[in-house]
Amino acid sequence: MTASVVRVPDLDLESFAARAEKWLTESVPARWRESRGRLSNEESDELRRDWDRKLWQGGYSGLSIPAEYGGCALGLAEEVVFHVLAGKAQAPDGFTRVGKTLVAPMLIKSGTAEQKAKYLPPLMRGDEVWCQGFSEPEAGSDLANIQTRARRVEGGYLLSGRKTWTSFAQHADWCFVLAQTQPDAPRYRNLSMFLVGMHQPGITLSDIKQISGAVHFAETRFEDVFVADSDRVGEDGEGWKVAMRVLGDERGGVETASRYVEIRSDVDLLIRTVGDRPALTARLRELDVRAELLRWQLAKVVDREVGDPERLLRSASVLKVMWSELWQDVTRFGLEVSPAADRDHWQYQYLEARAASIYSGTNEIQRNILSERVLGLPR
Amino acid sequence: MNETVHTMSTQPSELGDAAAEGVGELLRRGTKGAPIATYAEGEPPISWQTISDGGWDVFGVLDDGEGASLRDLVELARAWGHGCVQQPLVTTLLAKRHSAAAAAHAGPVTIALPLPGGAAPYVPFGQVPGVVLATGLGRGSDELVPVPEGTPETLAISSRGIQADVHTELAAVVAREIAVTLAAAATGMAERLLADTLAFVKEREQFGKPIGSFQAVKHQLADAAIDAELAETAVIWGAERPDEAFRGALFAVDRCIDIAETAIQAQGGLGFTWEVGLHFPLRQMILTRDVVNALEVEHA
Repeated sequence: MTASVVRVPDLDLESFAARAEKWLTESVPARWRESRGRLSNEESDELRRDWDRKLWQGGYSGLSIPAEYGGCALGLAEEVVFHVLAGKAQAPDGFTRVGKTLVAPMLIKSGTAEQKAKYLPPLMRGDEVWCQGFSEPEAGSDLANIQTRARRVEGGYLLSGRKTWTSFAQHADWCFVLAQTQPDAPRYRNLSMFLVGMHQPGITLSDIKQISGAVHFAETRFEDVFVADSDRVGEDGEGWKVAMRVLGDERGGVETASRYVEIRSDVDLLIRTVGDRPALTARLRELDVRAELLRWQLAKVVDREVGDPERLLRSASVLKVMWSELWQDVTRFGLEVSPAADRDHWQYQYLEARAASIYSGTNEIQRNILSERVLGLPR
Repeated sequence: MNETVHTMSTQPSELGDAAAEGVGELLRRGTKGAPIATYAEGEPPISWQTISDGGWDVFGVLDDGEGASLRDLVELARAWGHGCVQQPLVTTLLAKRHSAAAAAHAGPVTIALPLPGGAAPYVPFGQVPGVVLATGLGRGSDELVPVPEGTPETLAISSRGIQADVHTELAAVVAREIAVTLAAAATGMAERLLADTLAFVKEREQFGKPIGSFQAVKHQLADAAIDAELAETAVIWGAERPDEAFRGALFAVDRCIDIAETAIQAQGGLGFTWEVGLHFPLRQMILTRDVVNALEVEHA
């Protein structure tokens, strides 16, 4: 996304940060900040949905999306700063993350003018929620092994298959789906990308409960769901290309910014609760240093790698491995040493953190990317 | 804790960038890409005269407090470390930055650095003819004295260092700069070991294939690449935040040692031989860790 590569001078970044911090303080609902653990699912969903609309009204929706598509036309630096500040202000996590970080860049790069006009404005306003239909039971790390089929019919396709690990599925209005359209074509050239309405017959959702007890994902079944030709992104057979262009995007930095805030707050909790135990000092110090280095690594990426796809590929994998393994180490340490009052917190965080090295490309895949595509080792 | 990236700077000034580029060029011309082992124990491939003619030894000298920042020194030291050329550039640079007597001296200068556990101080390059010792940097008497005989330090083979009963008084700010700069040089050495190891595993074949094609080897090298990123970030952190200088330097050096261990493992039976020479930078790294540890105990 070339337009997001505009780097504003540091002075401007500082005033942006000051303005954003003030806005966040005024706008994060007190009910969320103070009592989100006690809200019902309905209340919590309502506040989260409302937060997406507030972002739009406040001028903070789609920070690095070009202005012509309803975004703020700023850069990765502002995205990172905003996500850190939002985390500190305990802002709700809205429902538009997938839409803004994946769908918008995909449509801007590969969508038609009609698709951009139809889908980007409601996404930016926070009115429409997107989910991602990539992973399948037989297509995890081997994403190209997708079995969902889209069969040609008059004016479009009929989509059938099973998608899994779908975040936001319960709230989604649209899903962007990778499906086989040319079963006989060679691998990587047999797939197409579709924009599928979630409110139509033939779609069933079932929750997936995770080891932590939380339900962040669903399994999504499609049975002869119609998709019009005008809702295919890119040419028939180019789905893999369209998908890869999105996955190589700048999302690594933004995700790390949010993770940093959570990890920092967990390390601070440890310092407050067990920081005075000499036997734990060395391990706590190491976790504290690694948390700070995560932030400095991110600052390094923002300073020098924006707009350089090769370096971003490297830094996205480095950041993913860094934050996910740090978070796992922090939660395991917390679980082991925490006082009774925090046991529930650490048990939940520990179990939740197991997922971090699995989603968004497992850490094994990240190490493959680093060694093969960055270090140039033979396949 | 209240800062986000907008108050953080990770880049050197133009001065630091230019110095890193210049030193890189100096090393390319001087070593012509020769393996570390070919010069680790013999005559360094770049003479002190060449270094001093280029003005590299005075790069850190401040004029009314103006000049290269610690972040700039980090950039230079990292570039220099990559060459694994053992000339007293880093100690001279730091001595000339913090001692008027050293700045006025034309030749190489060294510093007595503490070692943990009350061991006699380590004097890098103490066996190099003509090198003189600074007695105080930013504190104590500002003089240059001959280096006493001492005993060869067993880890400092290529830096021809000694342990001797001498002392350089250090201001706290100087101690921090020494820790970060030495760690930056170690980071450059680690990056060099990683690059050499990547070249090795692409060439070396077992079971009819380059060993770099095996995932067990690949993932170790991916981790080493992450460690190299972290080491660089840690010295930048230490340079930008004086309170974190020792923690940053120590973390960086630990990652460098991890990388050196991976380099030896990946190069297997060859990597374990004296003559392949992976141990020369590793020895420097271990010494650097000892020095940083001892500096932290004395100055944190």
